[in-house]
Amino acid sequence: MAGSDLFVGTLDILILKSVSLGPQHGYGIGRWIRQTTNEVLQVQEGALYPALHRLQRKGLVEEEWGVSETGREAKYYRITPLGRRQLRAEASRWREHAEAVSLALAAAQP
Amino acid sequence: MKRRFRLSIGERGIKKDVAQEIEFHIDMRTRELIDAGADPADARAQAIATFGDVPRFSEACEGETRKRVHRAAWKERLDTVFQDVRYAIRTLGRSPGYTVTALVTLALGIGANSAMFSVVDGVLLRQPPYANASRLTVVAHPVPSLQIADLAFSPIEVSEFRAGTPAFDQLAEYHSMAFDLLGHGDPRRVQTGVVSADFFNVLGVKPYLGRTFAPGEDAMGAAPVLVLGYDFWVNQLGADSSIVGKSFTMNDRQHLVIGVLPPLPAYPNSNDVWMPISSCPFRSSPQVRNSRTARMVSLIGRLGPGHTFQEAQRELATVESRGHVEHPDDYKGVKDASILASPVRIAMKSDADSAFMILLGIAALVLLIACANVAHLTLARQLRREREFAIRGALGAARGRIVRQLVTESILLSLAGSVIALGLAWASVGALARVAAKFTPRANEIVLDWRVVVFTLGIAVLTGVVFGVVPALGDRSDLATRLREGGHATSSASKVRMRSLLVMVEVALAFVVLVGAGLMIRTFEGLLRTDVGYDPEHVVTAHLDLNFTKYNTSALDRQFDDALLARLRLQPGVVTAALASEFPASSSSPQNLTAFDIVGRPAPDSAHEPKAELSIVTPAYFATVGTRILAGREFTEADRDSAGRVTIISQSAAHRFFGNQNPVGQQITVPGAKNLELTIVGVSGDVRQFGPAADVSEQLYLPFQRFTVRDARLLVRSNAPTGATSNLIKDAVHALDQNQPVIDFRTLSAARDDAMGPWRLTTILLALFAAVALAIAAAGLGGIVAYTVGQRTEEFGIRLALGAEPSAVRWLILSDGLRLVIIGLGIGLAAAVASLGLMSRLLVGVRSTDPMTYGAVAAVFVSVALLACLVPARRATSIDPASVLKGA
Repeated sequence: MAGSDLFVGTLDILILKSVSLGPQHGYGIGRWIRQTTNEVLQVQEGALYPALHRLQRKGLVEEEWGVSETGREAKYYRITPLGRRQLRAEASRWREHAEAVSLALAAAQP
Repeated sequence: MKRRFRLSIGERGIKKDVAQEIEFHIDMRTRELIDAGADPADARAQAIATFGDVPRFSEACEGETRKRVHRAAWKERLDTVFQDVRYAIRTLGRSPGYTVTALVTLALGIGANSAMFSVVDGVLLRQPPYANASRLTVVAHPVPSLQIADLAFSPIEVSEFRAGTPAFDQLAEYHSMAFDLLGHGDPRRVQTGVVSADFFNVLGVKPYLGRTFAPGEDAMGAAPVLVLGYDFWVNQLGADSSIVGKSFTMNDRQHLVIGVLPPLPAYPNSNDVWMPISSCPFRSSPQVRNSRTARMVSLIGRLGPGHTFQEAQRELATVESRGHVEHPDDYKGVKDASILASPVRIAMKSDADSAFMILLGIAALVLLIACANVAHLTLARQLRREREFAIRGALGAARGRIVRQLVTESILLSLAGSVIALGLAWASVGALARVAAKFTPRANEIVLDWRVVVFTLGIAVLTGVVFGVVPALGDRSDLATRLREGGHATSSASKVRMRSLLVMVEVALAFVVLVGAGLMIRTFEGLLRTDVGYDPEHVVTAHLDLNFTKYNTSALDRQFDDALLARLRLQPGVVTAALASEFPASSSSPQNLTAFDIVGRPAPDSAHEPKAELSIVTPAYFATVGTRILAGREFTEADRDSAGRVTIISQSAAHRFFGNQNPVGQQITVPGAKNLELTIVGVSGDVRQFGPAADVSEQLYLPFQRFTVRDARLLVRSNAPTGATSNLIKDAVHALDQNQPVIDFRTLSAARDDAMGPWRLTTILLALFAAVALAIAAAGLGGIVAYTVGQRTEEFGIRLALGAEPSAVRWLILSDGLRLVIIGLGIGLAAAVASLGLMSRLLVGVRSTDPMTYGAVAAVFVSVALLACLVPARRATSIDPASVLKGA
């Protein structure tokens, strides 16, 4: 379901980051991911939704129905305090992980 | 405008939300594609394609949402319950009088049921503690004409049964004998289970220590081995864990201990130790092995997979009838012997089981009374809480919500009550098991375990629902009325009617319980007063089973017996001493029912053959037990001559078989002593040989000296205290033979009392239940009368002020209470007549409709009811009319 090079859990972090900036509907979240990652990370659009619903079940995001910019009723997602904590933890883990991998790749000796 | 929540509960809501969300995405995408210059005609198709598999993603979303919604719903439900419980605890805490009364009532009602259930469950309901219990089949061999419930089988028959019953995986044999055990302490007389090597394997019993018998260890000539019973190992050997591998001497041979058993039911008998059949000198003797009539063992089999009890029964019966046809001589006296194969749980039932069931039934009635009483207390409390409910209703609480609150309170109360009840049951279950051990083999399974706890909590919840919901029924008054009437809770006439009804129910049920107890007390009192035909006071009995390896001829036996009796008679305080094969109340059923012929009469068919219970007794037996000789004479020392072929019969036997003829001087022949003509020399008084509850049995006595009994009962009538007499008997036996055990010291009166054990226990417990029932019903009655008096204070004040006699007012109140009692008694009477027939099996000499008992119980009830009403009535007449009128 992930387009390319998407590690497990990456989608969750991206979703949480997206909604941490303010309530957003699914389409908006997908658009944000595409734009901010310069379309490098390709997510099959539909795959976003089961992930959103899973995060909602875990209590990391909550729903809010509202009217979209086009005047239609849409389901918005808002991050919960629990989601924010999770995002912080995941983000720092992600950075450590990335640093470690970079260090390893930069090593000169076998 | 944004909405915080959308109620997407329900399958349709969930599907609709997901569909709408995805539809929105596709629309947005389509719009974007068109804005970017795509052809509007196929922009939507393109949008769907970039989205991916729509049905799959929808389904995944729905699944997640469904889980979330369910969890939220449960959480909300739990929150409501917690909230209800917290509120219930607060309100109950505010009325401690109600709470404590209800708790005590419920604890007694539930506790009685927990205790009785643990007994019934232990001895009746659960499978016996054998791994193969569901496939175990006990083979009984009844002979109706001789009233024998289970005639033993001979080893030859056993091998025929084994060969002819493919339904059984294995068929084990069993018998039990007493032997002397030497080594590791004093010589002991031990009851020994003698079994085929596969016995424990058939039962599915794993050893506690060591091992059980291995195949081949029961073969003739195998090295003698021994397995110890758990209780014997703990009580006699101090649970010595190094005992396996040590040896005991039994029957002059070394027996190696190979294992210790776990605790087991006392079934088929209570045994101290176990040995294979090859070690038993009787079972392995050629006479026994080669005789079809050496009937000494019983059978227990394990059904093979897929085989049924019915198949086993058919196969066993086929083998049995073949034996009858092929060897008619060997079945002469027992022509009607048949086979009865039954599951072990059924075979282990004891006579007392129906008593336990009845006790459980009565306990259930007590709980119903408790229920009715708490329901009526709850109603009274609700009448006081009218205002609270009215306000809550006005504030928007649904009627269902208020009912749920009430049920929460009642379940909380009954659960708390059940905790106390379990404490009561826990305290009493040990004593119950100890008493029950005297008449059921499975008493050690009477324990308070998780099954009892589950049962208790189950009835507690049920109780809570009943007394919580009943008061809520019939409450039809509307909110406005209740608010209008405010604090004065005079509104719900229906509730007052309901209370009266509940009190009537209490009275009716309590009447049934009291009559049940009354019938039992009458029975027990009747048993105590029964003329048993002997004088049980001042007689000590003991079991003297002579060591057969030492006393191996009847001459040696006799020598010992004579010396012992002579020595005993010389002891201070001893009046008389005797030996006998049996004594009154030593067993509860015929042991030796013997058919005989009367010389000079044509032999009747077997159904009409004279039969009597045979006892073999020494001279002075009748003097020792205190039974009179009505005609002729007692046995004398002279009867030991070969010429002295004499017998004594009991009065009922004389009546039955000789009518008006004088039996003394007549002759009979007994099949055991072929062609031996016995002359009747005396007629003895009738004796209740099988306990006070059994009918008088026809008895036949033979002289001990001619028909030696090695396994005998010693009886000593003495003026000395029981303990001193027992010591004196021990000393006398040991003075003659240091190594001869003498055991089972018991007074004749204790044997009689033990025979009444089930009745005693039932009577005590029923009396206890009846006291609880009466107390609860009286409290209920007093409560409702007091309430009515409270309600009618003004009326009574006015009556008194207008010159009514206080006695007239008192009567007004009493008659109100009495009306409830009389109607309740009427219902109770009908219920008792209809239901107490179930008790008939327990009743002796009293019918379940005994008018005396009913009358006495009704009188007790009316007196207690008068007392219960009198207190509030007196309060009513001490009202000061002036203050009432001023207040009005």
